Amino acid sequence: MAGFDNFNTDFYQSSYSVDDQNQAGYGYSNTEDPYSKPYGQYDYSQPMGYTGAPGMVPPQQPYTGQIFQPTPAFTPASPQSMYSSGFEDEPPLLEELGINFDHIWQKTLTVLHPLKVADGSIMNETDLAGPMVFCLAFGATLLLTGKIQFGYVYGISAIGCLGMYCLLNLMSMTGVSFGCVASVLGYCLLPMIILSSFGVLFSLQGMMGIIITASIIGWCSFSASKIFISALAMDGQQLLVAYPCALLYGVFALISVF
Amino acid sequence: MRGPSGDPSDPSPLFDDTSSEVNNHGHGDVGKGPDAYPGQAFLSDPMSNLAMAYGSSLASHGKEMMDKNLDRFIPISKLKYYFAVDTVYVGKKLGLLVFPYMHENWEVSYQQDTPVAPRFDINAPDLYIPMMGFITYVLVAGLALGTQNRFSPEILGIQASSALVWLIIEVLTVLLSLYLVTVNTDLTTIDLVAFSGYKYVGMIVGVVAGLLFGRTGYYLSLLWCCVSIFVFTIRTLRLKILSEAAAEGRLVRGAKNQLRMYLTMAIAAAQPVFMYWLTFHLVR
Repeated sequence: MAGFDNFNTDFYQSSYSVDDQNQAGYGYSNTEDPYSKPYGQYDYSQPMGYTGAPGMVPPQQPYTGQIFQPTPAFTPASPQSMYSSGFEDEPPLLEELGINFDHIWQKTLTVLHPLKVADGSIMNETDLAGPMVFCLAFGATLLLTGKIQFGYVYGISAIGCLGMYCLLNLMSMTGVSFGCVASVLGYCLLPMIILSSFGVLFSLQGMMGIIITASIIGWCSFSASKIFISALAMDGQQLLVAYPCALLYGVFALISVF
Repeated sequence: MRGPSGDPSDPSPLFDDTSSEVNNHGHGDVGKGPDAYPGQAFLSDPMSNLAMAYGSSLASHGKEMMDKNLDRFIPISKLKYYFAVDTVYVGKKLGLLVFPYMHENWEVSYQQDTPVAPRFDINAPDLYIPMMGFITYVLVAGLALGTQNRFSPEILGIQASSALVWLIIEVLTVLLSLYLVTVNTDLTTIDLVAFSGYKYVGMIVGVVAGLLFGRTGYYLSLLWCCVSIFVFTIRTLRLKILSEAAAEGRLVRGAKNQLRMYLTMAIAAAQPVFMYWLTFHLVR
């Protein structure tokens, strides 16, 4: 029980820690989590990450959930409740922004190996930094071929994300948040960047180009549906989820090819 | 030792010696923020904390209100029933839409008064196929126009909105005629949308065949799909609109049943008309 006092100050925010959809992800879980590191911001074992009535998005918790904890003792291992205590105790900048390079790399690897089984819990924190980078890279490779179409890329991705969000909320037992959908679709845009970089070097309008385009669309939609299926525990619906993803990536491919 | 550098008592020091100030603030501050770091002051100021808490509560309250109101107009839970499908169901249903001649039992099975989910009963209507069919139809139309060099992004919007408007007109007409004929049926509006949306599958098949094989391919496949949709619609709606006796195939004379039969045939005949109307300008 010696260490119990240290934990007690952080475990009291019972209503906050259930939902881990925050970008900053500063939640300690109620149960002792073997995966949490000393700064412990990224919580893998969050089975309640998608609770809520079917069709309803879990409410976004306020960012300032645990600043109001009355902490009598100064605990150096709990940076998030001590914003004002000085420069040395601030968390690192990247952590505060919620950008975790290790996670970004892991998710990228999951997309790049379409046959590897995906872990459902990697999508628990919604990370839009990676997808933003991929969208910009896609626009940049299009720019190299002379097509200035950033507007189309953003517009189509916004509409596509909205459509997938509505569809997945209707089709799954648990709901999803918009950030999660946007994050998954953004990560799976990575093979499309490969396609458009091919388009810089060769023209994609021959038979070879059609075959490459079709296989890359298949790759993107297969990984996106694989991640959605494992994150939302939908059974027997992988092809049904893959088809709208294929339509969306097909529109992106149309932009790169024509 | 005195030097050119930092003497706190010097009225104009060459640089500020802040080492002593840092030690004073360091570990003593637990509550209010020090003034040296304005970024900290923002977060620790009680007024701004209060404002943030109020703002977030306002946002969640607004979201709740929006969800509640949305639920009144679009019944989300009822819609979820129509999306409870799986791959096997979709595959079989698509096969049924193109070849409905071998299927024998067209009744929707019930479970204690509520219809069974589409996942478990192939005769139940769903909204996944119509929705995907609609979106695919718009994209294929864009593709077809692109091959004729008539493509521009506005065309996609025009095609989508005109198809949507025709769908709405058709559903409203069917609803009106069901009301006029005073049929006691358990067809809901969403069911009618679903049944009207099944024709997009045939349209897509026709347009794709037209792209691959030219006008002959288009006409042949469209003819096949029109006949299939006609048979499919009659067999499905017959059970819903006609009385039980007539639905079983026995000949029941009577003005009411005849009227219902004509209504079913009219609805079924409207499908091929729409299919041709919405696709003939796409294939040259």
